[in-house]
Amino acid sequence: MAQDSVGFSSDYQFWMQKLSVWDQASTLETQQDTCLHLPRFQEFLRQMYEVLKEMDSNTIIERFPTIGQLLAKTCWNPFILAFDESQKILIWCLCCLINKEPQNSEESKLNSWTRGLLSNILSAFRFDTKEVGLFTQGLEFTPADYYPGLLKNMVLSLVSELREYHLNGFNTQRRIVPEKIRLLSRICIPLVTLPDIEPLVEALLTYHGHEPQEVLWPEFFDAVNEAFLLKKISLPESAVVCLWLRHLPSLEKATLHLFEKLISSGRNFLRRIECFLKDSLLPEAACHPAIFRVVDETFRYALLETNGAPEVIAAIQVFTGCFVEALEKKNKQLKFTFKTYFPYGSPSLVMVLLQHPKEIPQELWHQPLKHISEMLREIVEDQTHRSYGGPFECWFLFIHFGGWADIAAEQLVMSEAEPPEALLWLLAFSYSPRDRSLQRAQTMAEVKAVLIRLKKLLGSPSLSAEDLQAAAAESRDRDPRPPLCQQLIRRLLLNFLLWTPRAHVIAREVLTLMAPTDELTHEMTGFLDQTLYRWDHLRMEATGPRKLARELLAELRPAGSAV
Amino acid sequence: MESLVEHLQRFSELLAVSRTTHVSTWDPATVRRALQWARYLRHVHRRFGRHVRIRRALERRLQNQWGQEGASGSAPVPGLTNFQALGRGDLLLSLRLLENRALGDPDYHYLLRQLFPGPGVPDPDEEALQGSLARLARCRSAVQLLRFSGPGEKSALEDPVLKTQAELLLGRLREVPKAEAEGPSRFLSTLWDRLPQNNFLKVLAAALLLPPSSPRPQGEELEPGTPQTPGDGAQELVRWLLEKSDVLAAFCRSLPVGLLTSVAGRHPALCRAYLGLLTDWGRRLHYDLPKGTWVGAEPQHVSWEELYGRFQSLCRAPPPLKDEVLTALEACKAQDGDLQVPGVSIWTDLLLALGSGS
Repeated sequence: MAQDSVGFSSDYQFWMQKLSVWDQASTLETQQDTCLHLPRFQEFLRQMYEVLKEMDSNTIIERFPTIGQLLAKTCWNPFILAFDESQKILIWCLCCLINKEPQNSEESKLNSWTRGLLSNILSAFRFDTKEVGLFTQGLEFTPADYYPGLLKNMVLSLVSELREYHLNGFNTQRRIVPEKIRLLSRICIPLVTLPDIEPLVEALLTYHGHEPQEVLWPEFFDAVNEAFLLKKISLPESAVVCLWLRHLPSLEKATLHLFEKLISSGRNFLRRIECFLKDSLLPEAACHPAIFRVVDETFRYALLETNGAPEVIAAIQVFTGCFVEALEKKNKQLKFTFKTYFPYGSPSLVMVLLQHPKEIPQELWHQPLKHISEMLREIVEDQTHRSYGGPFECWFLFIHFGGWADIAAEQLVMSEAEPPEALLWLLAFSYSPRDRSLQRAQTMAEVKAVLIRLKKLLGSPSLSAEDLQAAAAESRDRDPRPPLCQQLIRRLLLNFLLWTPRAHVIAREVLTLMAPTDELTHEMTGFLDQTLYRWDHLRMEATGPRKLARELLAELRPAGSAV
Repeated sequence: MESLVEHLQRFSELLAVSRTTHVSTWDPATVRRALQWARYLRHVHRRFGRHVRIRRALERRLQNQWGQEGASGSAPVPGLTNFQALGRGDLLLSLRLLENRALGDPDYHYLLRQLFPGPGVPDPDEEALQGSLARLARCRSAVQLLRFSGPGEKSALEDPVLKTQAELLLGRLREVPKAEAEGPSRFLSTLWDRLPQNNFLKVLAAALLLPPSSPRPQGEELEPGTPQTPGDGAQELVRWLLEKSDVLAAFCRSLPVGLLTSVAGRHPALCRAYLGLLTDWGRRLHYDLPKGTWVGAEPQHVSWEELYGRFQSLCRAPPPLKDEVLTALEACKAQDGDLQVPGVSIWTDLLLALGSGS
C-alpha cells in the first residue's frame, strides 16, 4: 500500500507539471505532447478516482492540497476532455470534492468553485455572443439540444470545405490551406471514437491535396487505425484503404492484428477464418497491389517461421479466395496486371491458377490440372533459368490457389484409369516442395502403388477395414515413408473413404485402425473442414460424401469447440 | 390513464420550478422523487411508444398545457413539448438542477451521486443517463476543439451557429399546437418581442435557406402521424413575415444584401414582397438637380446607392429571379411614361446603371 502511494505521489507530481506546461494546448508543441499522453493520463485519472472515492472532501484537500489546480487545468484542456472517457472520470473526481454539509466559509467556497467547474463542463451555455445564448434559451433548449446540433453542422461545414478543394483543384477561390488540414488532423486525434466526427475523419483520410509530402499528422493515422481495429469507429472501405496506403505502419499493424486473431482463437475452421478476413477489410484493400504485397509478405514470413504450418497455408488460401472475389467485384474500376500482385510467379502460370474451377465443367478439370502440373514442373526442374525464383517461390505461389491440389487428390481417387503422372507429381510437389527429384519420384511411386491397391479392393465382393488399412500401409521391405509422404497417403485414403459409397459403413472402423493421436485427429479434422468448405464454394452436390464428411467431423471434433 | 396524466402534470410543474430559486426549499428526498418521476416518464415513453392512441392522448394534454402557459405569458415554450420529450425528461431536469445555484449543498451532493454513480453501474437507466451527460461534455469539448481550426465559413448559408439556431427554431415550430391556425404565428410574434431582434432576423434567413429536407434534431425519431412535408416550417415563417409588415421591413432593411437575394431566390412570395418594398423605397426618392443624384426626403430613407446595390445583387442572381426583377423594373419604368431621359424616373436611371454595370 505504502509503495502504491509513493508511486502515485510521484505520478501526481509528474502530471501536475505536464498540465502546467500544456496549459490550454493552444500551440503545436503542447497539442502534440498532449495527444501523445492522452491514454496514460486517462489511466492516471482512473487511479486518482479510485483513491479519491474512499475519502471525504476535507481529507482530500488535506492529502492533496493542489488537487483543485490539477482538476481545473484538466478542465481547461479541451484535448483531454475530448478523449475517450476522460471527461467522465474527471466528473467523477470533481463529484468527490463536493462537501455534503460545509461547516465553514472555506468549505462553502470550495463547493461553489467545484460546482462552477462542473457547470462549465456540462450545463452552462458558453457562446461567442450573448444573443445566441438568449435565442437558444428563449426557445427552451438545453445544452443537450444545442451542442450536438452545432457539432454536426460544424463537421458538415468542414467536410464541405475539404471536399470543395478536392473537386475544384487549384482554381477554387476558397482553397483550404495545408496548415489548416494538418491542424484538423491533430484536433481529431482525441475525437476519433466520437461517432459525430466520423464524416470529418473520412474526409481527411480521402483528401488528396497537391502537396508533395503527407499533410496529415502521423499520430492521426495511428489513432484512426487503432480505433478501427478495436471496432470503435466504422469507416467505409475507401477511407480505410486510403489510411493504409498513406501510412504503412497502420497497414502493418492491421495485418499483425489479423494474424493475432487467427492464431489466438485456437482451432479455426475455414468458415470462421473467412469471417475474420472479410471483417478486417484486408482482402478488399488488397486489390491495391501495394497493400497486397505487404500482406502477402507477412504471410510468406509466417509460413517460413512456422515451417509450412497447415493453418497458415489454409489462411493463405482463404485470403486469396476472398481477394479474388473482391477483385472480381471491382473488375471495372481497377486494372492492374496480375504481375503486379505476383511478381515472383510467371504470368501465364498465374493466369491458369486464377481460373475458377466453377467455370470449368467437372469432367474437364483434368485439363487445367495437367497444364498447371507441367508448368510448375518446368520451372522447378529447370536448374539453369531461374527467372521466376526457385522451388519455394513456385510453391508459395501455388499454395495461394491450393484448391487445385485438393482437386487433384480427388481426381486421382475418383477416376478408374491409371493415375496420370502429372497429377502425381503435382500432389507430391504440393506436399513436399523441398524434395529432390529422386525423393519425389519415390513418393510418386508409393502413391501410385497405394492407389492401385485401393482400386483393386473395389473389385472384391466384401470390403473390410483391415483390407483398406493394409492397402494403405507401408511395405515392410522398403525404407519407412517420410512423414509428408505418409500424410499424403492418409489424405488419399480419407478421400477414398468419402468417394466410395461402399466404404461409408466401415469409415469409422478404418479411422480407429489408423490409431489417431491428437495430432493426427487435428490433421483429419482440418482436412475434412477444408473439403467441406471447398465443396460449398464450388457448389458441388456430393450428397453422400458430404453427409459422411459432416458426421466424421462432428465425431472427431472435441465437444464444445467452435465452428 | 388518469394517474399517468397526473404524473405528467406534476412533473411539468417540477420542471418549471427546477429553474427557480424555489429549489432552495428542497431536500434530498425531493430530488429523489423528482428523478424517480423522470425515470417513470422515461419508462412510459418506452412502453407506449407504439401505442398510437395513448400517445395521442398524452400529446393532446401536453399541447393543452402549451396553450395555458403561452396564454399566461410565463414562457413561450413549456418544459415538455411532445411525447418524445418524455424520454428525455431526466436529462432536462438534471441539466436545470445542475445549473441552478439556489440548490442547496446536500441536495446537490445527492443529485451528483444519482447522476454519476461511477464505473460498473448495474442499472441500465442510470448508466444511460450517466453516458448521455458524459457524451454531452465530450461533445462540448469537440466543438471547442473544432473552433481551434479557425473561423471558416461565415456566410449565413453555411455558418454552423446560425444553421443550428435555424434548425432549432424549425424544430420548435413543428411542435407548436396546430389545433389553432394562429398557433405558429402567435408563437413567432412572442419570440420577436422577447429575443434580440438582430440575431433573430439572421436566424430567420438561415431557416428560410435550409435545404428542403431539414434533418431532425437530436434524439427525435420519425413519428407516424406527424405531417411529413419538410417545407412546412419554412412556409409558416414566410406566412408570418408577410403578415407582419414591420418585421418584414426590418428583415429587408438590416440583413446583408446577398443574403436577401438568396432568400428571394428561394421563396417567390417573399421575392414579390421584397420587390414591393424596393419600389416603395424607390418612390420616396426625388431627383436633386444641382447634385445630380437621387436623394431621399428624410435621412432614414434608403439611399440611391443602397437601392442600386440591392438591385445589382438581385440581377446577379440566376434566372428566373433575375428576369422577374428586370420585368418589375421595366413595368415601373413603363408606369412612369417609359422615358429614356435620365433624371426623370428613378427606374429608368436604375435600368441604365444596371445595364452598363452588369
